[in-house]
Amino acid sequence: MTTATIIDKAKSEGRTLLTEVESKAILEEAGIPTAKARLATSAQEAAKAAKEIGFPVVLKIVSPDITHKSDVGGVKLDLKTPDEVAAAYDEIVAAAKKAQPNARIDGVAVQKMAPPGIEVIMGMSQDPQFGPVLMFGLGGVLVEVLKDVSFRLVPLEPRDARQMIREIKGYPLLEGYRGQEPADVEALEKLLLRLSEFVEKHPEISELDLNPIFAYKDGALAVDARIILS
Amino acid sequence: MDDIVSRLDRVLNPRTVAVIGDKRAMGYMWLRSLSAFKGKLYSVQIDPNELPGIQELGVPNYASLLDVPDEIDYAVCAVPRTVAPRIVRDCAAKGVGGVSLFTSGFAETGEEEGIRLQNEIAGVAQESGLVLIGPNCMGVYNRRLGVRQAMDQPAGDEGRVGFISHSGTHAINFSLLASVHGIKISKSISAGNSVVVNPADYLEYLAQDAETQIIAMYLEGIQEPRRFFRLLKETTRKKPVVVWKGGTSESGERAMFSHTAALATPLSVWQALVKQCGVIPTDSLDETVDVVKALLFTKPCAGRRMGLIALTGGQSVVISDTFAREGLDVPLLTQRSYDELSSFFNIIGGSYRNPLDAGGTLGFGARPDNLERMLRILDEDENIDAVVLEIASRLLVRRAFGPLMPPADWLPDMLVAQKERSPKAFIAILHPGHLEAQVIEERAKLLERGVPVFGSFQQGARALCKMIDYYRFCRGLD
Repeated sequence: MTTATIIDKAKSEGRTLLTEVESKAILEEAGIPTAKARLATSAQEAAKAAKEIGFPVVLKIVSPDITHKSDVGGVKLDLKTPDEVAAAYDEIVAAAKKAQPNARIDGVAVQKMAPPGIEVIMGMSQDPQFGPVLMFGLGGVLVEVLKDVSFRLVPLEPRDARQMIREIKGYPLLEGYRGQEPADVEALEKLLLRLSEFVEKHPEISELDLNPIFAYKDGALAVDARIILS
Repeated sequence: MDDIVSRLDRVLNPRTVAVIGDKRAMGYMWLRSLSAFKGKLYSVQIDPNELPGIQELGVPNYASLLDVPDEIDYAVCAVPRTVAPRIVRDCAAKGVGGVSLFTSGFAETGEEEGIRLQNEIAGVAQESGLVLIGPNCMGVYNRRLGVRQAMDQPAGDEGRVGFISHSGTHAINFSLLASVHGIKISKSISAGNSVVVNPADYLEYLAQDAETQIIAMYLEGIQEPRRFFRLLKETTRKKPVVVWKGGTSESGERAMFSHTAALATPLSVWQALVKQCGVIPTDSLDETVDVVKALLFTKPCAGRRMGLIALTGGQSVVISDTFAREGLDVPLLTQRSYDELSSFFNIIGGSYRNPLDAGGTLGFGARPDNLERMLRILDEDENIDAVVLEIASRLLVRRAFGPLMPPADWLPDMLVAQKERSPKAFIAILHPGHLEAQVIEERAKLLERGVPVFGSFQQGARALCKMIDYYRFCRGLD
């Protein structure tokens, strides 16, 4: 499905929150690498998808009504066999239904378990005066507790992307702290510039979250993604 | 020329000015301020009690703007708010270039009547293409033409610094304080509520104004944010833009709304914009003056390595701390410099690694030639981008070290020579200490001759650092 059809479909259904599968499909089209997710609507389908993708996999609930998937027990990591996948499917759907009985559940996303990298986040929100603003930070606790993030207005220039990454306090972690592998900062810069371009082309998007992105020695991968339409 | 730019050009360079509604109770402040105006000045006032006072000032008065037998390029409107719509209509009917409304009591009051009146005058101006400045403002200042916002603003000669301000007080205070520091205004605009013409328009004008080499602003809210963002980006490529932003705290935001009815911008967004555009941010009137002074009087510099000269040991330590704290480097000099310095430097009570603790080598004023040697060495040193000299007020303004020591009469000439000769940015620090009155006099003389003198290490370091950041931005460094 193309970006336009995904957005049109959501609009026709009166939805503003795109599912993870939809969000990732759109981002892929914009040239932003994601850990591709495949939608499964039954335990069997999930197990089959996992076999095709290759183990280990991650399962995540797909629902336009559920924003925080792990809060409702909607995420299972590191599943290594078809049986584990099938069981996880049932558990996830049951847990989500219990937590949010009125939520529409489309199924479960099956995704290859991405190798661990340094977690970073990128996001976009709309400033009422200046329009789209991009945000960059290190993932997890650093962004939540220390608010160690940087901002730039769209459109970004290469200099902005470069500075945005380097001005966060946690930047040394990306340079390879204490023998850790350094992150591909250039790939992150490119990602920010692509996001900026993408956001400029799609004023109908009011919010965007890539959280987390795994930054590797070579490249980076958006492991989870969320797009909200206005 | 763009439409708004050409319309503003007429208003900011008027041949004729009319003042509407000036009165004794205000001390005829507008007519008096405009007494320095080089073009033709007219008054419009219908109150018979006011006419003798206006006549005394020698300004021809008319009962209506429409009766003035001349085209009017710029009008100042000082009538009560209920009369303002009629005056704005008259301005439109007469084809006045622009009108600034000193009148207040509009949207900034937050009340219905004020908002209604503001919409009414804005509507008239927008329909007719009249440049409406304000309301709730102090109008425009053109130093060369003697169009003033206040009686104590200097007039008669050209300036190089443009100023845009949401606040009339800050516009006037900047022009006055800047003047004391040797900085002359080209054009200044008090933008008030900015309902028709706003800082984005003024910025677009000043960006192309040949007389204006540096632009400074005091901003509260931001009208036309996206256009302003684009204009800032374009303008900083041509000339430096210094922005002092008000309303960046919660209580400041509240005050800002009742002042100019402006919406707040989140600090994180504002700071992002500053970095993306290469704007030089400041936090106070003094800092704005300091940064403009550095931009105006020093050579462009994109390196952070400072060569520091202080006169005593204590000052050497503190000058180094301060410049380092503000984000500048104080590196070691080249071996060649050390070889030269060692040939004459008095190391008893002094040192020369950088900073140069130079008082003794200067013979406490008796050996000016040694100071010149030090300055030349720093100028030639490849490890140094900018040179800073501490001048002790006691050395400059009186015989600090007893009646037998000569006063440093030679110092001003040496500073001027250094500034002119040196290929590097050069500033002097002259802390007033206990000799404030005399120092102000000496400082004025130095600034008049183009030597950038700062009142403290911190002021000098910060101004220099911000200037350097700007030139680094321009050259794509960092």
